[in-house]
Order: sequence, then structure tokens, then C-alpha cells
Amino acid sequence: MSQTERYLLTRANIEGAHQLAVAEKNGAYEALRKVLKEGIPYSTVIDEVKKSGLRGRGGAGFSTGMKWTFMPDPAKDPRPRYLAVNADESEPGTCKDRVIMQRDPHGFVEGVLLAAYAIRAQAAYIYVRGEYRLPHDRVKAAIEEARAKNLVGKNILGSDFSCEVYMHRGGGAYICGEETGLMESLEGKRGHPRPKPPFPAMFGLWGQPTTVNNVETVFNVPFIMNRGSAWFASLGTANSKGNFLCGISGHVNKPGVYEFSFGITAKEILEQHAGGMWKGRGLKAWFPGGSSCSLLKGSDIDVVLDHDSLRARGSSLGTAAMIMIDDHTSMARVMEIISRFYDHESCGQCSQCREGTQWLSQIFRRIAHGKGKADDVATLEALAKGMAPGKTICALSDAAAIPTLSAVRLFKDELIECVTRQADPLAVPQPHYAVAGGHH
Amino acid sequence: MVKIIVNGREVEADPKKPLIKACHDNGADVPMYCYHPGLEPVGSCRICQVEVKQGDAPARVMVACRTQPAEGMVVDTESPKAHATRKECLEFLLKNHPLDCPICDKAGECDLQDFTYAEGQDAGRTNEPRRELDKRKSLGDTIVLDQERCILCSRCVRFFEEVPKQAQLTVSDLGSRSVIATFMDRPLKGKYQGNIADLCPVGALTLKKFRFQARVWNLVKMASTCGECSRGCSTTVEVLRGADVKRMRPRENEAVNKFWMCDIGRFSFDRHNRSGRLQGAAVREGVQLVPYPVEEALTRLRDELMREKSGAWILSPWLTIEEGERIKALAERLGHAVCFVSPAPNSEKDDLLHTGDPCPNRRGLSELGIPAAPVAQALEALRGVKSAVLIGERIVELLGAGELAKVDATKTRVHLVDEYALDIPCVLSVYGVANCVERTGTWVNIDGVRGPISAVKAPPVGARSPAKLIDELVRLMPKLEKAR
Repeated sequence: MSQTERYLLTRANIEGAHQLAVAEKNGAYEALRKVLKEGIPYSTVIDEVKKSGLRGRGGAGFSTGMKWTFMPDPAKDPRPRYLAVNADESEPGTCKDRVIMQRDPHGFVEGVLLAAYAIRAQAAYIYVRGEYRLPHDRVKAAIEEARAKNLVGKNILGSDFSCEVYMHRGGGAYICGEETGLMESLEGKRGHPRPKPPFPAMFGLWGQPTTVNNVETVFNVPFIMNRGSAWFASLGTANSKGNFLCGISGHVNKPGVYEFSFGITAKEILEQHAGGMWKGRGLKAWFPGGSSCSLLKGSDIDVVLDHDSLRARGSSLGTAAMIMIDDHTSMARVMEIISRFYDHESCGQCSQCREGTQWLSQIFRRIAHGKGKADDVATLEALAKGMAPGKTICALSDAAAIPTLSAVRLFKDELIECVTRQADPLAVPQPHYAVAGGHH
Repeated sequence: MVKIIVNGREVEADPKKPLIKACHDNGADVPMYCYHPGLEPVGSCRICQVEVKQGDAPARVMVACRTQPAEGMVVDTESPKAHATRKECLEFLLKNHPLDCPICDKAGECDLQDFTYAEGQDAGRTNEPRRELDKRKSLGDTIVLDQERCILCSRCVRFFEEVPKQAQLTVSDLGSRSVIATFMDRPLKGKYQGNIADLCPVGALTLKKFRFQARVWNLVKMASTCGECSRGCSTTVEVLRGADVKRMRPRENEAVNKFWMCDIGRFSFDRHNRSGRLQGAAVREGVQLVPYPVEEALTRLRDELMREKSGAWILSPWLTIEEGERIKALAERLGHAVCFVSPAPNSEKDDLLHTGDPCPNRRGLSELGIPAAPVAQALEALRGVKSAVLIGERIVELLGAGELAKVDATKTRVHLVDEYALDIPCVLSVYGVANCVERTGTWVNIDGVRGPISAVKAPPVGARSPAKLIDELVRLMPKLEKAR
């Protein structure tokens, strides 16, 4: 499939687009002006987004318009309501939101305002990953610039729509990217996810109705409002509409963040955009959407990138952060690193996750270091099945279990070989690294 | 109320209370660690998995503490899937638990141990190194934390947030590195700390006072009531091999103390273990108190009381209503005055339980028509009569041994019924008495709720409960009087 049209990163590629003057010259805030000047009702915005088929870009791929309709009717529920924008992008492999916030902060702020308008939120909170200093500073500066021009704050552009936009920098915990953990953290508490129900639309930030959206999700909204839902729905495949940002990383020649329409094959991305595998090596395995989704074999590279096609192959689109692994790589080592991440990032509330992520990490570490035991691979599988699906408060336990199950399924022989030879045949000498916070 | 089916039986359930409560109320044994009926459920330990079927949807295994009962819900706590899920969860909980049950004070009453015996695997699957943490971290004067045993249920954290409403503990660090800690390592304060040792489902939080004192299966436990204030918290008194009281713990009572008690009451048992108790009776002969058979001492007392119209009975507020009733009847028959000592409120009053009033049976005795007398007034009454009986545990302590020593022995003859002898000139006879862990009876708390006290151990040889002593005394009196 050939690339039809690009829109997400057009402004981001213009020099100085993080400044209001440049951004406005290139179309920023047009959709907001249109909505407010023409007095388009919020219900029309929701309908347009619903019709466009936009699905959340934070990993779960839930219909954005549908999510907005879960907010209670303000006539019946006069409580204050909030929009929380999840910019705590910390999934290994994912780096798309950074590009948006850093290069096109005004487009992002416009998206935040339109989303807040649609759900009638008085305030929007942007929860930025703590390590994202430049994106944070850029968005913060953009908000101030926009405020000076009455694009943020009270009675925006003379309309009766008022919305304050606040920035919050996280402390560096992956778990605060989970929507309820994010809300707890925003409230000043430990980022421990809340059990659901109650769902955020009824009981969110400070107990008020709240919608949590990803950066890229709200970033799409101005384009939909400008060009119409029909245009948006013309891009992509049957159930996955529009363009998406694909962060490709790993053993490729040209890693980076690219924009594609859904429907492109992973093979085309790898070969025609990312410059193929490095050093002329073959593709052994890859994560199609960040480290929390199932691994796929190299032979699955012909898959079409959209929600349905990846599900059919037993994985998921996630955040479309492709991590490519070449055929010189030890899968035991890959999983050692990934499981260590989840061990480090589990919040520690649920027993399965707290102990399970540590246990997985310990086993993978032993296998990768030639100290595996005969029943280790079977234990890994049993543990991962005990951790997921849906056995814990949030999905972090699942996120650790899913790649483990896929590694055991696809690379069982390799893992068993590491165990039986008491050495990892593909091991390369590793520099000494310190394990953060480690009691390992 | 909604109708649900628990293990095949239709029962009523409160839709506002978590499903696990409905299960427990109806005999289903669902394990729990983070859930506690006195705290808000958080659903983090994930052990209370039960199979729930609602409508036409397929049955799902879910945590009972975060599920609300709904009309028509069918709950199976014993389904193979529920068992399997709980067993899996248990394995994770045991991953880092040291299994040092042989040296753990909680062994024998440990939820983790019980459930592992009931449902766990016979052998562990892990040889990974377990967490090595502080095994005896002092959290102040009352509590020791064993970080290795902790399964991070967070009951203790939530207790301080929800009950005394003073957050003092937190979970610090993340994931498998999480530990329970106080803020900035400050010692715990306040008088409700002891409760977290009861709440702890494992042996992570132990009372300094109970550490290595007894194996819990050697303790004889009986329901009783705390006597440290007029709240009268329901308690369980635990005695080791019939000798020493080792522990006092709150007993669930929705009307009084819910699940809690204060540390003043909890650690008030030291006085029950003191030696030097008065055995039997002693009567003053010349300058000293001479041991006497109780019956003979009582006969002499009877003679004096029946002769002397100027008499007063001064009661300890620790006397039960049964004892108060007998004494009042006797005093009226003898034409004597009666009152109970009512010491001034102390400064321990708080919003939660402690009333600041040190009279456990103030309301019970008052309802019998026995007037309360402040200490000074009681002493005044004593000095104004020719014969006085001071009766009940701690009566000397309340009136003050120093004040009693000032009583003019030529004017007032004092007969003392207390735990300890007091050898001062005005005291003509003394009788050993059983205290509130050695006799049975009823106290009425400040809100009118009756609380039992139980004889968990035997009183010293020859010491009697006040009720028995009065009965014996009455038996020695002529029948005629009684018939009138």
C-alpha cells in the first residue's frame, strides 16, 4: 500500500513550529477558532470524532468518541469535570508523544482544548513523564503563549468556553502512565492504580468525572475538526482509521518516529523507511507495539499494521512502537532486560505482580547467565499464566506476562538450549551494569 | 438488601458491603489478607478470588472484596477455578515470605499459615533468593516490624489513615522492593498502635510486649471487657497456662469498639500478673493483722456490722452490677450508706474510644441507684461513720493509701476487701478479692451496653469474688432479717 497522505508531523517538521507565530501561520488553532467562532456544540465535536473512527493511541485502542460519551450529562451531574492528558510515555520502545510535544506543542495544546471542549472540562491536566524536560518546557511555554492570546484560560476567544491547562511532571514511574495511577499521582499520592469500577468517567481526579486521553489521540482531534470525519475515515483500514505515529527502534538502520496510515505493512516500514535491518542481518523477532505486547517472529513482518490484523497474529498494535531484534540476539537476554523493567516498575500493590515480576526477572536472569534449571521454562509459563489476564488491579501484571508467554511460546527451544548447555550460545560479553534500586 | 446465592444457598446481602462480607456471614471461608471488615477494601492482595456468575454472562473469577453483591448473583467460593486462582496467588505471596514459622510469634494464628496449610502446595517452586531486609525494625515503643515477613497487605497503613485518622505508616519504594515504613523513620506515636499487630495477617508487626512470650496455642482465651475507662471495649484476655495474662486484644463489637482498643487498655494487664496478692482474710489482733479463716473473720465482721448503725459501704467502680446489687441490698438492710468511688476524669479522652472516665461500671452502678462519690467525698463519708467497708479491686489505689492512713482509727473501723493488704491502724480486717480476670460478672458501659468479664484464671488461694464474699456474709446473718 502506498502512503496516501501525511498530516500529523507536517507542522512538526517546520523549523520553529514550537513558537506560536510560526505554528499559527501553519494552521495551529484553526480548528479551535472554527469550533468556537461558529459555536459548534460539543455534541457535534463528539459525533465527528465518533464518526471519524479515531481510536485511542495510548495502547488499548478504544474508540475516543465513545470514551467521551461515558462522561455524565452535566445537566444531571453538575460536578466539576476534568481532562487528564497522559503524556507519561514510558513504555519501552515508545517515543512518539515526545515528538509531538517537543516539535508541535501548539497543535497539541489545541487538541487538549478541543478534547476538553468536547467533554466540557473546566481544566485539563497534562501529566508529562518526568524525564521529558524539553517536551515539558515547550508545552509549558506554548500554554503561556496561548494564554497571552486568549487561547487558554477564561472565555477563550471571547466564547463562553473556559479551560485552564496545567502541566504536571511525573517522578519517573512507569506505573503513573496507567490512567488511575496517573490520577492518584496527580492528586499528590503514590501512583498506585485504583481498582475499577468506579471508572474515571464517574469517579476520576479528586472523585470528579474525568477522561484520560493519550497525547497523540487528542493531537488528532483538530485535524478531524478541520477536515471532517469523512476525510479522516478515508485514511486507514476498516477498523483502524487515520494516520499513526510509528516509533521504530532496535536493530534497524534508521530508527525514528515515522507517520503512516493504518494498513501499511510492517515489512514496508522496515525496508522502505527504516532502512532495513542493520549490518545486513536477518530479523529474528519483533515487538509490534512496545514491550508489553506479544513478540512476533521475523516471518510475521508481512503483517498489515492495524488493530485487527495484529490481533489475528496473536499480538496487538499497542502504541505502534516497533522494536526489531536481529538474529544475533539472545532472546533470553532480551527477556532478561524486559522482565527486569517490569520488576523495577511494578507498583507493588497486587501480590501476583509484585512477586511475579520479580520472579520472572530472576528466572530470565539465571537463564541468560547460564544458570538455568530444568523446569525453569515451564515455571515461566505457569507464572505468567498466574499473573494474567485480568487477575490484578491494573494491566502491568499482564504487560509483564504477555511478552513472557510469547517468548516461551516462540523461542522455547532457544531458552531450553540455554538451560541445558548452562550457557547462552548467543551471549555477548556485557558491560557491567548496575541494577537500579537493586536487591537482586 | 439483595438476594444472592452463596454456595448454593440463597441469602440476603447488603449491596453496599463487599461480597466477601456476605460470603463470611454465610459460612463461606474466603481467605483474605488486605481486606479487613473494619477498613476500606482495596483489593490488592488478590487472594479472595471467588467465582461469580451474573445473568447470562459466563462465570468469572473475581476478588470478593471489590465486588458488590447484586440481585441474582450466584457465588461459588469453592469452585475448582476459584481454588486454582487462589492457589496461584498464594504461591506469589509465599515467594518472598521467609517461612520462619517456628520462630514466629504469629504461628498458630497466622492467616498466611492457615491458608497455606489448607490450600497451598506441599513444596515451593522457587529457589530464588528471598528478600533480605530488616527483621527487627523498631517502630517506636510498642511495635516491631519484620520487613521480611510482610506481605504488603497495607492494613496497618490504612488503619492509621482511616481509624485514628492520623497517617503514620506508608508503603515506601516500589514493586518487590516495597517495605512498610514510617514517615522519615519517625517512631509511631499515639495510643492506638497496638491494633496494627492484631491487624497484621502475618507476623510482620508484633507487640514488643508479646514478642517471644508465648506460643499462641498455649494461651487460654476468654471473652472479657476492658476496665480502663467507661467505654468498656470488648476484649479477649489470654492467659498462659493458667498463670500470667500475656495479652489482651480487642474483640469485635459493632456497638462499642468495632475492632479496636487503645494501648492503655491493651497493656493494662500487668497489674493482674503482680505478686504479693492477699490470700484469704486477716484480722487485726493488737498491732498486727493476723491471718484468719475467712468464715471466722466474716462472723466477726457480721457481728460488728449488725451492731453498728453508723456504717458506710464504699465500692470500687470495678464492681459488677451483680456485686453492686448484693451490696446495696445488704447495706440497705443494715441501714448503712453506700456509694462508689468516682475518681476525676483523666487526660486520656479522645474522639475514638477512650472516654477519660476511669470507672468501667459507672453506668451500671448508677443505674442500681448507688451514688457516685468523688474521692474527697468518699473519704469524707468514710471518716463520718464508725464502720466502713471498702470493697472491690483497686479501692485503696483510688482512695489513696496515704489518705486512708490519716483516718482516725479511734473513730472509724475500716474493713478492706481488696487485692492487696493495707496494714494501717484503722483497718481491722482485710479480705482477698478476685480481680476482673478472676471473676465473672457484667459491666455496663457509658452507652448502656453490657459487657461480660470472665474468670480466665483462678484467684489467689482464699481470695473470693466480692459477690461470693457478700453471699457468705449474708448467709451468716439471721434468716429473720432476710425474710423482712
